Amino acid sequence: MLGNAFISIDPKTKNLIRVTSVWHIVLAAVALILGIATAAGSVLLELRGVLRIVLIVICIFTAAASGWAVYELWGFRRRGRTISLVVNYLGFILFFVLSLHFLQVFIDIDKLGETFGRGLIALVGVVIGYLISAFGDRFEGKPELSQQYSKVGKWVALISFFVFLLLVGIIPAIATLISRMANPFIFSLVLMTAVFGFFIWTIWREPSAAALKANNAHKEALDGFLFLSPNLLGFLLFFAGPLLFSLYVSFTDWDAFGNKNWVGLQNYAKIFNLNVQPMDSPDMVVTEVLDTTVYDELTRVKLLGKNFMIGAQDKLFWISLRNTLLFGLLAVPLSVIPALLLSNVLNSKIPGMKFFRAVYFLPSIAATVGVSLIWQWLYNAAVGNINYFITVAVNFFNSTFGLALVDPQIRWLSDTKTALIAIVIMAAWQTMGYNTVLFLAGLQNIPKELYEAAVVDGAGTFRKFWNITVPLLAPTTFFVITTSIIQALQMFEQVFVMTNPPGGPNNSTLTVVLYLYQNGFQRFKQGYASATAWVLFLVIFGVTLFQFQRQRNSEAYDI
Amino acid sequence: MVKSYKLSQILSNLLAYIVLTLFAAVMLFPFLFMLFTSFKVPKDTFNYPPRLLPYEAQVIEVEGFEEPLPAYAVEVNGKMEEYVLVEKNIKAGVFADPGDLDNSYTLPLTDATPVLENGEPVMVTVDGEAYPMFDVMVGDETKQLVQTGATSLGAFANPDNLSQVVYQNVRLSTPVESVKFHPENYVDVLELQNMGRALTNTTLITLLVVLGQLVTSVVGGYAFARLRFPGRDSLFVFYLGTIMIPFVVLVIPLYQLMVMVGWVDRLAALIIPWVFTAYGTFLMRQFFVTVPRDIEEAALIDGASRFQILRKIFLPAAAPAIATLATFTFLYAWNSFFWPLVVINTGSSQNHVLTLALNILRGRAADAPNLVLAGAAISIIPPMLLFILGQRFFIESAMSSGVKG
Repeated sequence: MLGNAFISIDPKTKNLIRVTSVWHIVLAAVALILGIATAAGSVLLELRGVLRIVLIVICIFTAAASGWAVYELWGFRRRGRTISLVVNYLGFILFFVLSLHFLQVFIDIDKLGETFGRGLIALVGVVIGYLISAFGDRFEGKPELSQQYSKVGKWVALISFFVFLLLVGIIPAIATLISRMANPFIFSLVLMTAVFGFFIWTIWREPSAAALKANNAHKEALDGFLFLSPNLLGFLLFFAGPLLFSLYVSFTDWDAFGNKNWVGLQNYAKIFNLNVQPMDSPDMVVTEVLDTTVYDELTRVKLLGKNFMIGAQDKLFWISLRNTLLFGLLAVPLSVIPALLLSNVLNSKIPGMKFFRAVYFLPSIAATVGVSLIWQWLYNAAVGNINYFITVAVNFFNSTFGLALVDPQIRWLSDTKTALIAIVIMAAWQTMGYNTVLFLAGLQNIPKELYEAAVVDGAGTFRKFWNITVPLLAPTTFFVITTSIIQALQMFEQVFVMTNPPGGPNNSTLTVVLYLYQNGFQRFKQGYASATAWVLFLVIFGVTLFQFQRQRNSEAYDI
Repeated sequence: MVKSYKLSQILSNLLAYIVLTLFAAVMLFPFLFMLFTSFKVPKDTFNYPPRLLPYEAQVIEVEGFEEPLPAYAVEVNGKMEEYVLVEKNIKAGVFADPGDLDNSYTLPLTDATPVLENGEPVMVTVDGEAYPMFDVMVGDETKQLVQTGATSLGAFANPDNLSQVVYQNVRLSTPVESVKFHPENYVDVLELQNMGRALTNTTLITLLVVLGQLVTSVVGGYAFARLRFPGRDSLFVFYLGTIMIPFVVLVIPLYQLMVMVGWVDRLAALIIPWVFTAYGTFLMRQFFVTVPRDIEEAALIDGASRFQILRKIFLPAAAPAIATLATFTFLYAWNSFFWPLVVINTGSSQNHVLTLALNILRGRAADAPNLVLAGAAISIIPPMLLFILGQRFFIESAMSSGVKG
């Protein structure tokens, strides 16, 4: 390995690496100046808060990394290649995305929406082409026939795709892009992209890799970064970054128009601000018990023979939390227990099982908005099917058994007592089949021998279910219950579509997410809404953790 | 002994089928309701008792009338016949025998002439109330009756012989109805509320999100599964940890990010943030880990690049996993509502997706459930068709998270 140091490097490669080193010196200098200028607050662009900090951090990192790259490249060390490639790659991506942004490529996806309908027919051709080439795989014995099919399929798909591009207007789009590039600012962005691209090439090429003593592990690591980079960068930008930002926003009084002040824990304090006061008699007036300039009456309770009134600063949050928990408490068992039973019935090897499984699965793939619209009509108090079925059933029982049942005539969605229950029923209907499929998968993992042994020991159906199925299905049950709870606690769409006004009647179906939506996007109290979101997250996290704990304690059976 | 075992087996199977069918009916009924209602005329949707099939009042073309006339079942000489309604709102009176007010006839006023005395109508007092007296044609005979009330009648005629006319109350008559589907509801709803544009937008978004997410997930999953690079394992743990974080925590900062880059009310906001997900990467990584290493190593020795290995070895092997992720993503993109509601303006409909358009349609066409449910069908049927084609992948996408966890 010592010999490596004396491998002769051809002059071109050597020069390219030297040029790259110079580039890194320039880059470091520019980044340093820009960073200092931004920190001093004298940059051309008026940058606000977070963006400014981000820019300073980027500048410092670029300057430091570039300087380091120069040092390592000068000594023809492998690490220099890594750092240089990372810096130039990130620069390339940054300027590439900026170019696309200022060329308005992202915004013009809207225009694609206009013309996309025209091109759809051509896309069908692409699918047909794919099917033709896939069809060729059937002739395994005749390779030339199979090849012909795949060739034809490929051409059909390619031509169709080309037609698709023409139909959606690729030519005017390219013309527009070129004309926009005439703008000097945009042109310089594109140029910078090309410059970064060039310096990726100078270091990436095989002779440079050899000159910088690249080995397999080094190349594998670079490939790893390269392959993960699209996902990781997007993930940081659209997930991890916003997540941190969300925490920050929850400590401010942001109003979505850029006005914000740091308020510390005030948002959280407001959410949790409860006040419990003893009452002399259970029917006292609120104003006598609570300071109504701050608190609203939430509820009255009787504890140990004494009456208390509970007030909350943000009454609606507590109502929404109660509704959400109540919803979860009702909807989860209602969708999990029937699913458990159904999956056991389905698991017996009877013909038609696949058909039933498919039918049960259907509700979970339908859009919740669409499903809610259907149920809204089913729940209609006057002409809805559900009330009609109840009426028919009541009449049937009355006439057959001579009973005197009263037709309840439930006003499902407009009655404060039944609105939440109506939504519980619908949600259970929608998720039951999904849970059934999950249970079924779990059941099929239980070894048959256990049941056979139990039958030999004389166990009946019920004992087999209770002593084998239930304990061995525990991991699946845990998963189903946890995901069901997480879903239930985020309930929003059903209520938003079905109740009028959303959350009504009289806040009886107001959920935490709906309350968050109203606060954040209708009243534009985004700081406060963010705090609500984090509280909800903590509730969800707590429930999951609690579930995990129980699961761990009960994990006596392990196959 | 054997026989009784068989019998109990049959009985338990029968019970199983009854339970399964019952649940299947519950699961399917709302969809059938949607489908049939979407073919109804608006009036039929408010019919009580509710009917599943779309009915429509039958009309018959009659000579001498421009519009076809609605048909009703009318009792003529003790037999039910199909007559057409030729005239509505004919002023009619309720005429009764002065001796017995319960014995009354409802007849058009043209069949009655007031009995006059010195130019003044004759009044008869029954039970302390004065009623005017009329000469009324009842059947073929003329009777002297008092008018106790006023109403309106419809004239129903035999469509083959318009001179055979029967008068009766229109609201209490039963119209002749027949099953008739109105597929034009779908055309109407696509034009209303820019639903057609919403359909193409949803298709476009779904397509791009699925393709984009597949690319980033496959490539990222491969890196996590097979390539060693510094920080890989801690990054993966970080990815895993974020899967559990609910979207509501993200919605506000993500919205602010969209404001910052100018993507509010743009389709880009519905596509680009959804291309990069931890879940998809995790799913693909879990699959790639199970692919045997030997072929890959042989290819590496032959000088294949990582990209070639991914394309030629891993991609074909991962087809089922990719299809599973694709169905999962497809459903998520097609059905999403909360994020579009937040980031797309309700006012301008050109960037609406189906779920948003439906939400607005619900308010705007509240009196036409047939159209609302046709809209719902447009959003629900495409995933269902795909489900029928590739059931396996839907079921697997449900199970992929369940069993391994």
